[in-house]
Amino acid sequence: MNSHTTPPVHPPALEVHGLTRTYGEGAGAVLALAGVDLTFPVGTFTAVMGPSGSGKSTFLTCAAGLERPTAGRVVIDGHDLTDWSEEDRTLFRRERIGFVFQGFHLMPYLTAEQNVGLPQRLAGRRPDRARVRQLLARVGLAERGGHLPSELSGGQQQRVAIARALVTDPAVILADEPTGALDSATAHEVLALLRSCVDDAGGAQTVVMVTHDPVAASYADTVVFLVDGRVAGTMARPTADAVAGQLAHLDELVAGVAS
Amino acid sequence: MMRLALASLRHRATASTATFLTVLLGTALMGSFATLAQTATGPVSDVDQDTLFIMGAVVGSWGALIVLFAVVSTVGITVTQRETEVGLLRTIGATPRQARRLVRAETLLVALVASALGAVLAALGGRALLTLLRSGDVVADSVRYDAGAAPAATALLIVLVSLVGSSFAARRATRGPATITPSESAAGTQRLRIWRVVAAVVLIGYGLAMGVVTITVTADDPDPYAAMQTSGSCAILVSLGLASLAPWLLRHLSVLARPLLGAGAAGHLAAYNTRRRSHLLAGVLAPVIVLTASAVGVLMAVGTDNRTRPGGYDDDARTINLLNNVVVGMVVVFAAVVVVNTFAAVVAHRRAELHRLWLLGATPDQVESSVLAEARVVAGVGVVLGLLASLATVVPFGVARHEGIVPDGQLWLPVLVAVGVVGLTLFSARSAVRRTAPALGGVR
Repeated sequence: MNSHTTPPVHPPALEVHGLTRTYGEGAGAVLALAGVDLTFPVGTFTAVMGPSGSGKSTFLTCAAGLERPTAGRVVIDGHDLTDWSEEDRTLFRRERIGFVFQGFHLMPYLTAEQNVGLPQRLAGRRPDRARVRQLLARVGLAERGGHLPSELSGGQQQRVAIARALVTDPAVILADEPTGALDSATAHEVLALLRSCVDDAGGAQTVVMVTHDPVAASYADTVVFLVDGRVAGTMARPTADAVAGQLAHLDELVAGVAS
Repeated sequence: MMRLALASLRHRATASTATFLTVLLGTALMGSFATLAQTATGPVSDVDQDTLFIMGAVVGSWGALIVLFAVVSTVGITVTQRETEVGLLRTIGATPRQARRLVRAETLLVALVASALGAVLAALGGRALLTLLRSGDVVADSVRYDAGAAPAATALLIVLVSLVGSSFAARRATRGPATITPSESAAGTQRLRIWRVVAAVVLIGYGLAMGVVTITVTADDPDPYAAMQTSGSCAILVSLGLASLAPWLLRHLSVLARPLLGAGAAGHLAAYNTRRRSHLLAGVLAPVIVLTASAVGVLMAVGTDNRTRPGGYDDDARTINLLNNVVVGMVVVFAAVVVVNTFAAVVAHRRAELHRLWLLGATPDQVESSVLAEARVVAGVGVVLGLLASLATVVPFGVARHEGIVPDGQLWLPVLVAVGVVGLTLFSARSAVRRTAPALGGVR
């Protein structure tokens, strides 16, 4: 035992090393991710930003284990799932990764409570009703448990989706443009809720959010800029203005990377 | 408009295939019998004319009922599935009238091509039927095949019926405000439309009344086939009536079918999907009911006829028996194709939703078994209702032929049909969900 290196108590919630993903082959091949190295420590809120085609969505898809990267590794909570089978990645995903989507992705024929309990059901367990109720109360929908998605507003549906993402107590929550379909007031509620998941003492959640909205990014601790499948820069304690300014000058960041 | 319709059809292969096959086989089935009625108007003896009319018009009309129902229901499913897209078209400036015209143009294209091909099949099928009748000495060898305009008229009728069906469905799809957000509403469409109730009351009432007529009137007729004429179609009529109530029946009966689902996540999902979105799966339930009822009803009646026909089982009887089996065979094949078709169309439409389940951590096996669990409920409910409907033929005809309420033989037949129909439903669900599987992948 080497006394100089104390192993970290918590491995990072999510790490990617040399993450590369190409689509197609030969001359027509498109390089969506070109060797991305990122580490997301436990209890952080990170926004991943970039113009269309910068590889944001591909990054999220690979980080979640939905798609296998062409090269590089994905390590979640200390588990390297890069070479796992589809089946094993699915089982891991539903226990350790929470998803929040732009389109909410609630099942239309299940009530809010049943939607929140669904990941546990899929894992073959009986949903913990107390926990489901407590999560719905936490997202401010204690009274709406019996409603179907069609009876809820967009913001309410997204809050149900956040409760669903939290139900398995995941290592990391991956959010894909979670406010893309919401008006600005509702978007604020949803972002504040994501922020509180990270800040609340008991929670210590980790959130990685892909977005193109500088206001949304300003709720994060750190912003990572992706351009042409590469990390073009990061910004700590972002403000909406600073992020918007940086986005307007991404070409300079790219020049910086190239040099 | 036609060009847009053509482009849009190419994007909707599965749903268009469902309409295409239903119209094609429907025209072939209905048209074959129509040619017999047409042949009867030619230079034939009075006896032959009677026989051909009974075959063509009476027997053909049972088939026609099923065909028209199937066309309306298939077209309805494919049009209703397009609510989102119709909403999108309207946000970019299409008036409800234009959106409806597009839907009608698409249906017209598919129905025209399919029914034209179907008319060719009908001309060939009618000739084969007549050859069968002649070789069995049911009609004189001198009777000449004369299809005349019958296949074309049938094709035209079916095209018109498809258009009416698509107009109804398109009106429903354009009723709401223009929107790009898909209305996945589980609620809302729960109320049973009044036309469904009216159709059900008329069809079931008529079917039961014909059953009563069989027992009280035609049972004493000197012609042994009078009772068969009145009771033969009762099962089909009652089953069509039940089929028009399919969304309501599925919602309420799926609760009873809960034990079929098992306790896992797949069963849980299927239980709520069949109950809260019964209008979606009702499209599959309807043909299952009709398939079961027509197969059991007509085959049992033929069996009773064989045992109790006055004058015993002679050559003549053998021919009639063969003909009956041909008729049932054609109807059953048609209904079976409709079951497979509608399942394919319904599941293809749910691709996004099944993909979402996978994103949330359902294994491909779980996705498949949730659809299979739904299929079990549909098959179970459909077979039970179909068997009930078949009683409308079996009981009156049995009483008329002095076998009583329970026929004297062939009690294995309903079991065999039930097993076959359940197998077919599960098979079509499985192949439909397997075909959507490559859609997995990606976050959205």
